[in-house]
Amino acid sequence: MSTEHGHDHHPRPDSELALRARALEALLAEKGLVATDAIDAVVELYERDVGPQNGARVVAHAWTDPAYRERLLADGAKAIAELGFVGAQGDNLVAVANTPSVHNVVVCTLCSCYPWPVLGLPPTWYKSPPYRARVVAEPRAVLGEFGLELPDEVEIRVWDSSAEVRYLVVPMRPAGTDGLTEEALRALVTRDCMIGTAVPQTGSR
Amino acid sequence: MDGIHDLGGMHGFGAVVAPGGEAPYHERWAARVCALHMLVELERLGARPGGRATREEMDPVDYLAASYFERWLWSAEQGLLRKGTIAAGEVEHMMERLAAGGPEPPPHRDPEQAARAVERLREVVPMQPATRPRFVPGQGVRVRRMHPAGHTRCPRYVRGARGVVERVRGAEELPDLAVYERDAPVEPVYAVAFGSDELWGRGEEPPWTVALDLWESYLEEAE
Repeated sequence: MSTEHGHDHHPRPDSELALRARALEALLAEKGLVATDAIDAVVELYERDVGPQNGARVVAHAWTDPAYRERLLADGAKAIAELGFVGAQGDNLVAVANTPSVHNVVVCTLCSCYPWPVLGLPPTWYKSPPYRARVVAEPRAVLGEFGLELPDEVEIRVWDSSAEVRYLVVPMRPAGTDGLTEEALRALVTRDCMIGTAVPQTGSR
Repeated sequence: MDGIHDLGGMHGFGAVVAPGGEAPYHERWAARVCALHMLVELERLGARPGGRATREEMDPVDYLAASYFERWLWSAEQGLLRKGTIAAGEVEHMMERLAAGGPEPPPHRDPEQAARAVERLREVVPMQPATRPRFVPGQGVRVRRMHPAGHTRCPRYVRGARGVVERVRGAEELPDLAVYERDAPVEPVYAVAFGSDELWGRGEEPPWTVALDLWESYLEEAE
């Protein structure tokens, strides 16, 4: 298979799928079963309120408050709830911390389980066959595609999520960030840092 | 079920980092199907076994050819059909009506349903504590060789492999049964770590660890 193909290459045209999706929504609206405004509300929830900005707040807080970090690593779900982040697909959230000797990376080989309350909806690559097939079997090659090279002595731990247990990676705080406020630290914590396919970068890199 | 969805370790899928990979979706219909499917499940309009296990039943050729939310559209429709919420042919009929420029049904407003959905999506249902777990942290376990025809959370690539229990996560209904029926047995769930040599043999990369959460009946004592 060519590596040139994109993730959205598939034989059925979007126009036909869009029509089918519109028809299903219209049918359920006509039957009075699924409300148009309920669909709007759920779409908005994940486009506006729930996304990686939530996870970045959790991580930056853990970087600046050692007691919070301890609570986060002991009971992830309870600790994210302290900051107001709760909900579907985060019930049994486990936070795993990177250290100088351990790097964590998260996948769901069977479907697309992901810690929604802190990261929102997963990117397409996370849900697609290449990542799900490969990261458990050749993690360094996959991380290399993301531009992440780790020393040989670092143990990579791949967490294969389930519907009941989801993972959030707590990356290491980069050196040279002692003077930054918690708010400024949040900007360093990207989505991929919390999946484990990247590590936080400071401006000097 | 040993279906196409059980992808761990398979070869031939190409690059992970590829065009179109970054966003959760690229078309408005996909965003709305995502929300619609959540509502179908929250409002119990679809039949068991629900979206995830239903998608595992998809024809493998269709599964791989479909985009992610195309699979969700399929499983939403399947659930609704199997429950009898919609009848065969109704979606196609509506498609023809809309494509012909026929009248679009007026939007159905239900602020209560909207509020209920957002509230339910923010609910937390923590795992129960495990009572009398059979295995303890540090203990060696072997994943049973099995070949279940239905849904399971035990991927093929760990079956038969020896791992070490790291944590007792808690207790949860066995998903293999819980997706199909009420009151499925509740079992301890363990975080089990496997060495890459055990799973894949020695390869080019320095050894790594794969950890996953496995239900007690997936496991037996390692010799």
